Amino acid sequence: MGMSALGVKIGPLVMNSPIVMAGGIFSYGEVNIDFVNYKKLGAIVTKTVSLKPRKGNPQPRIWETSSGMINSVGLQNPGIKDFIKNTLPSIKRDGVKVIISIMGEDEEEISRITRILMGEKNSYNAIELNLSCPNVNRDEIMTSQSPEMTSKFVKSVKRVCGDMPLIVKLSPNVTDIVEIAASAEEAGADALSMINTVKALSVDFKNNRIIEGGLSGPSVKHIGLKAVYDVYKKSGIPIIGIGGITSGKDALEYIAVGASAVGLGSGFFSNPLLIDEVYDTLSRFLRENRFKTLADITGLLNEKKKQGQNMGRNFRGKRY
Amino acid sequence: MEAKNFKIGSVTNLTRQIYRLELEGSFTTSPVPGQFIHIKVDDRLFLRRPLSIAGYKNNILTLIFQVVGEGTKMLSNKKKGEVLNVIGPVGKGFPINKNWKNILAVGGGTGIAPLIFLIDYLSHSRTTFLYGARSRQYIAFTALPKGVNYIFATDDGSYGHKGLISKTTSDFLRKNEKPDVIYGGGPYELLKKIGELSEKHNIPAFVSMENRMACGMGLCYGCVTKIKSGSVWEYKRVCKDGPVFSTKEIIWE
Repeated sequence: MGMSALGVKIGPLVMNSPIVMAGGIFSYGEVNIDFVNYKKLGAIVTKTVSLKPRKGNPQPRIWETSSGMINSVGLQNPGIKDFIKNTLPSIKRDGVKVIISIMGEDEEEISRITRILMGEKNSYNAIELNLSCPNVNRDEIMTSQSPEMTSKFVKSVKRVCGDMPLIVKLSPNVTDIVEIAASAEEAGADALSMINTVKALSVDFKNNRIIEGGLSGPSVKHIGLKAVYDVYKKSGIPIIGIGGITSGKDALEYIAVGASAVGLGSGFFSNPLLIDEVYDTLSRFLRENRFKTLADITGLLNEKKKQGQNMGRNFRGKRY
Repeated sequence: MEAKNFKIGSVTNLTRQIYRLELEGSFTTSPVPGQFIHIKVDDRLFLRRPLSIAGYKNNILTLIFQVVGEGTKMLSNKKKGEVLNVIGPVGKGFPINKNWKNILAVGGGTGIAPLIFLIDYLSHSRTTFLYGARSRQYIAFTALPKGVNYIFATDDGSYGHKGLISKTTSDFLRKNEKPDVIYGGGPYELLKKIGELSEKHNIPAFVSMENRMACGMGLCYGCVTKIKSGSVWEYKRVCKDGPVFSTKEIIWE
């Protein structure tokens, strides 16, 4: 049996659907949400796990904006050992791939956590290295803001995880995301997740305070699209496009500019049927435009493919 | 927990800023008092709004809310027949024990919503309901169940005792037979005071907490509050681990 039309390969990771629940928005995948259609889901990325437990940030952690939300959860998690013992066994799978998101303060720590995780390598399918949480050590730079640091962290994980697929999650808060992506790729990343939330701030005059955190939702979609477009042009590894997807058409846009898969985030909170909508739109698009697989349309509107076989094909994207 | 559409049966202005919203439809699993729903109010608002369930009977889901911001304002302007997408029922409800016969409910503002559902549910018990509001005009008299002993307090003294309901609660506990349990809902400061009184009089107390929420399903860890865990504390989710907590577990700010 081959893959279904919407099956995708993210490097060595094979998924039945290109739809991924992005890191941090679906707990660890252990919460049973009856209305989530697992048949249409490709993978779940867990909340980010660190070596030691992290209490996370104080309230307020959530702030609605005019077209999205700011979050400041701060990577609350029980630590890798507790996670492996108490949460990993209860992650619901049903054919959905499990991607464990990890973070580390330095190279030694990220190596250690990877080593611990590799002891359980049959219990999950890939690792996502979160180098880009805007809510930790806010005054310092994020690892993914430095090509050198990105390279060191990715190498530290890849040396230990070997054949285990490694996805690297990047921040849009950089001068040139293409440079960071290249450095992750060169260091051994199998795929990229982009974008993480965008650093942002709200003013709350009711309490005369500011709310800082990471912005998500429709307001970041065009930042994500531009990042995916630019990186796809230069990069040779698959991209999971994330940022402000609230419809099937949004997902199609990410794929058309270069994403091989799409991550859903806060849009799912607003619309619990988003997984079905994205899946059904992508299926319909392939069928109506006579494409065989999703890989055929990845990057369709990216200038990288200008000389490619797909240019000039009269597909009908505006109907979606 | 389900995600489904409910048709608005009625939107009624009970008094001042307080409204009753009746939604027509049913859940596969009936909600219990203390649980809430997460409601998609309008496409102009990105996030849903959590609202306590004030009743569920004969395929009518009743909500009581006060207009406090944009979301509740939009909700108050909804019309009969409009359809709203609802996620629910969510969260852990009030613990109920057959041996608790003498019940004290303490509610402030629209914190009364889950208590109304609870009182209806515990109809066999002897209940005293202490209800605090800003002034007489802010008391939702028509929402209150019958067969309950009510004591009111208003900030301006326009109805019942003058002052905060927490003061009335403190006085009540000093002068009356000790209740078996205290149930509370309302502003944070009131819940905190209920916690203090619960400890002082050695009465179990359970309160319904509120917080800003994103997912409302236990997924995002946005709505957390500090809860004791052994000798330390951790942030627990109001939406999934609560919204009802024992006051003994809560670390008050």
